[in-house]
Amino acid sequence: MDLAQRLVEERTELATKWLDLLLQTYPEQTQKLWRRNKDPFTNPVGQTFRQALSELLDLVLDWSDAEAVSEALDKIVRIRAVQDFSPSQALSFVYLLKRLVRERYWRELEKAGALNQLWNFETRLDNLALMAFDVYTKCREQVYEMRVSEVKHAQHKLLLRAKMIVDIPAGKAEEAG
Amino acid sequence: MADFKTKPDELYKSIDHTPPKAGWMDVPAQFRPGNWCYPAKPEVLDYIGFPNGRKWSPADEDWKLPENWKDIIHQGFRERLEKFRSLKIFMDVCVRCGACADKCHYFIGSGDPKNMPVLRAELLRSVYRKDFTTAGKILGKLNGARVLEEDVLKEWFLYFYQCTECRRCSLFCPYGIDTAEITMMARELLNLVGCNINWIQEPVANCQRTGNHLGIQPHAFKDIVDFMVDDIEEVTGKRIHVPMNEKGHEILFITPSGDVFADPGIYTFMGYLMLFDAIGLDYTMSTYASEGGNFGLFTDNVVAKKLNAKMYAEAKRLGVKWILGGECGHMWRVINQYMDTFNGPPDFLQMPKSPITGTVFKNAASTKMVHITEFTADLIKHRKLKLDPSRNDHFTVTFHDSCNPARGMGLLEEPRYVIKNVCNNFYEMPAQTIREQTFCCAGGAGLGTDEFMDMRMRGGLPRGNALRYVRDKYGVNRMACICAIDRATLVPLADYWANGVDISGIHELVGNALILDGEKEREVDLRQEPLPGKEG
Ligand code: SF4
Ligand code: SF4
Repeated sequence: MDLAQRLVEERTELATKWLDLLLQTYPEQTQKLWRRNKDPFTNPVGQTFRQALSELLDLVLDWSDAEAVSEALDKIVRIRAVQDFSPSQALSFVYLLKRLVRERYWRELEKAGALNQLWNFETRLDNLALMAFDVYTKCREQVYEMRVSEVKHAQHKLLLRAKMIVDIPAGKAEEAG
Repeated sequence: MADFKTKPDELYKSIDHTPPKAGWMDVPAQFRPGNWCYPAKPEVLDYIGFPNGRKWSPADEDWKLPENWKDIIHQGFRERLEKFRSLKIFMDVCVRCGACADKCHYFIGSGDPKNMPVLRAELLRSVYRKDFTTAGKILGKLNGARVLEEDVLKEWFLYFYQCTECRRCSLFCPYGIDTAEITMMARELLNLVGCNINWIQEPVANCQRTGNHLGIQPHAFKDIVDFMVDDIEEVTGKRIHVPMNEKGHEILFITPSGDVFADPGIYTFMGYLMLFDAIGLDYTMSTYASEGGNFGLFTDNVVAKKLNAKMYAEAKRLGVKWILGGECGHMWRVINQYMDTFNGPPDFLQMPKSPITGTVFKNAASTKMVHITEFTADLIKHRKLKLDPSRNDHFTVTFHDSCNPARGMGLLEEPRYVIKNVCNNFYEMPAQTIREQTFCCAGGAGLGTDEFMDMRMRGGLPRGNALRYVRDKYGVNRMACICAIDRATLVPLADYWANGVDISGIHELVGNALILDGEKEREVDLRQEPLPGKEG
């Protein structure tokens, strides 16, 4: 048995199941609405997950473009990073693919004495999880930065008046004497 | 060597995050950093005469409620049901059809079922059933009724401060149930036992004392306006005069104080001043009515009425004929929907009439207050402004309909008309996210505070998602809006969901395009960034 080939052949089904598992991390009523509504603008979470997971699965199978992987991850992680999840919960979706693949092919591969194929693929998913962790951290940092800069923006003119900050004058630095 | 006996499912037991299958009533409210706002400071509550000021935190077990808090709420609920027919109707008529369920931006972004408008209202309604309906008294839980326990109160606090009173849900309700008004009532009940948030109560207290949310005193207010006059001079070479607290002018101009202090609102403010100069408007501003916003709306109708009254009182004192209002959101909800019943009719004022075009604003016949985009659109229509839209050519602009002007007063065309006349590149976001169906900035109704950032990003997702779409498709790099809260809250929203898009008011764009008599050749825009073609 050739795991790589099977994954490619069965990718559509895998993508659907992966999405299923991801959606199951939300309450049941929510899942129903997010599965049903196919409009990307009134159901941005459901539709982004659907589209980005499918894209991500292809990128993982291809495993040649780190930047593209990171971008696809960003679409999902950016959402889960601000939802009501702990970091591990937010990133669990990567391991959901691991679980899916393991449950589906383990026995077969074991019988064929080809479990090493699974280990190799799983190494890829472990890397994916680390990449997701980077994206997650970046998103969280951004949230904290925004909190600070918002407070500054809100009182910009007051800070100026209190001479606590000065604006950059017009013109180039070297001209301003 | 020991053998690691790996089972296929072993790893995953620890990451099974499927939520428990419990009914919503049995899932207790979870207070986590980022999903609630800091409570009001005791001295603030004392100042405005609200009860039970104390140091407390929603994350604590003990909320230090008054001993008889249940009676207080029950009594307050009864009074409001008698006073506001709408509340009683909203409590009774919901058929739980679910049409509103997925229409709230907070639900869309968070997936938390209690952010479905129908469930949000149900938090109040379940107690209403138990206390005020016969079926509820007898059938209890079977009839969706429940006793008001402390957990229920905590749930109210969490979820009624996760509603921006944006009214998107009511647009889809076949009965027109206005969840925003349900939230208003719930917040009033919470006030009775001292459960409210500082980001609302402190601005209210400041506004009572100094006339604006930040508590800026008159001399400081004037200083800051002078700063802006300096900046305008730097950009245009023209020194503009801004009348302040002067009697005997035709018009009183009132705008949210955020335009005066906050970045990027200040650029919009400069735009107003330049416009008034260009047309020679006979107006004054006031340091006493230096706040168009009315955070009373977000906490209590009596307070809202009081803060609103200030506008008329000042208009009367200064002897103006009518009031021109700046780019604000909820200010217009108050004016359009509540002002007349609160404090009207102001018979000492006259029907607003543009001194430049002669247009009579009959839509403002009873409140005597005109929105500045209506005023400017009318000027443009009558060709009273000299404009050079190419000075905004470095922007590809889209327009965010702020909830209150869009759904609260139907102001949909005028802002677009103005933008299209002062900018050459304008693109709409998808139809299901604009006009009446617009998605909230998720920081309105007093929730635009930084500790609430996580929740704001969740709620801001639908808007951000549509914005990212036009950014990618048309290269949009500027989102204009006509609300001071938006100008603050959309900044992080855009940073997070559609990085690279800046936020501005419409009159900033007007100010850029407007050609003033005797101005110098401009090199920079109002943000002092080089104009297109002047980058060298
Ligand atoms: S936030 Fe807006 S859409 Fe959501 S429940 Fe409140 S009024 Fe309705
Ligand atoms: S749309 Fe109206 S009637 Fe239907 S569930 Fe929502 S509030 Fe109730």
